[in-house]
Amino acid sequence: MGNTSQRAVGDSLAGFERLISQERVDAYAEASGDHNPIHLDESYAATTQFGTRIAHGMLSLALVTEMLAKEFPDSWHSGGKIKVRFSAPVFPGETVVTYGKITSIDDSDEGLIATCAIGCKKPDGTDAVAGRATVPLQ
Amino acid sequence: MTVPLISTAVVGHEFGPYDVTIPAERASAYAAAVGGDESPDYGDTLAPILVVAAALTELIENLGLFSGGLQTIHAGQEASWARPVKIGERVNAKGRLAANSVRRGNHFATVAVSYTDSTGAEIGTSSTTIIVSGEES
Repeated sequence: MGNTSQRAVGDSLAGFERLISQERVDAYAEASGDHNPIHLDESYAATTQFGTRIAHGMLSLALVTEMLAKEFPDSWHSGGKIKVRFSAPVFPGETVVTYGKITSIDDSDEGLIATCAIGCKKPDGTDAVAGRATVPLQ
Repeated sequence: MTVPLISTAVVGHEFGPYDVTIPAERASAYAAAVGGDESPDYGDTLAPILVVAAALTELIENLGLFSGGLQTIHAGQEASWARPVKIGERVNAKGRLAANSVRRGNHFATVAVSYTDSTGAEIGTSSTTIIVSGEES
């Protein structure tokens, strides 16, 4: 990792697992300022369509960006772009897995740009978050 | 019940600017929420997505989506960043309603946000799409 110029189409990114505990959700509420009771208050969340608390979608996205920052430490925060859809909620107690693969490398005015299919899967294999990211390689 | 802004705002409506400066304690909370053995070392900088999340919180409140009875689904998110941001660095976020339509009783809204530093230079952008249901018509 880190030697971004030697990337190739088809390379997988180093995904990782993370248990999304309620403690992590609580900490994310403090970090983001998003104290929506659907994430924090079980009695309120029971009245919603989900029937229980759900993690912030941005928390799952944050895990994906952790993977990208680790894979592309020289460029992710200086030219990285991401576009995702939130497909399914993550419930506290679930372990999610981030994933990514380089799908193309293109020459542009800014140099080589890698496009990656990225996401975060729930325990049943469905995507909680999925989309693509582009990262400068030089 | 107060009518939420999302019911009346038209495309082009501007939000903010919001001060989305992230102090050290919130950066620490982010590390507790997200971090693990695989996490990169950010040093004295932030994960930019935290700045986006802070702006999103302001937008949701501004749109009146914390009103009782409304349920909001975060459907999509885009973000781009031009340079790292330091913990405690002053960042302003200014939003613009890029889309707001009603389909089958649900609002579909997209808000585009520009992030600027203390010099006024743009350091990032984001676009958030939300679906809001439960609104009284």
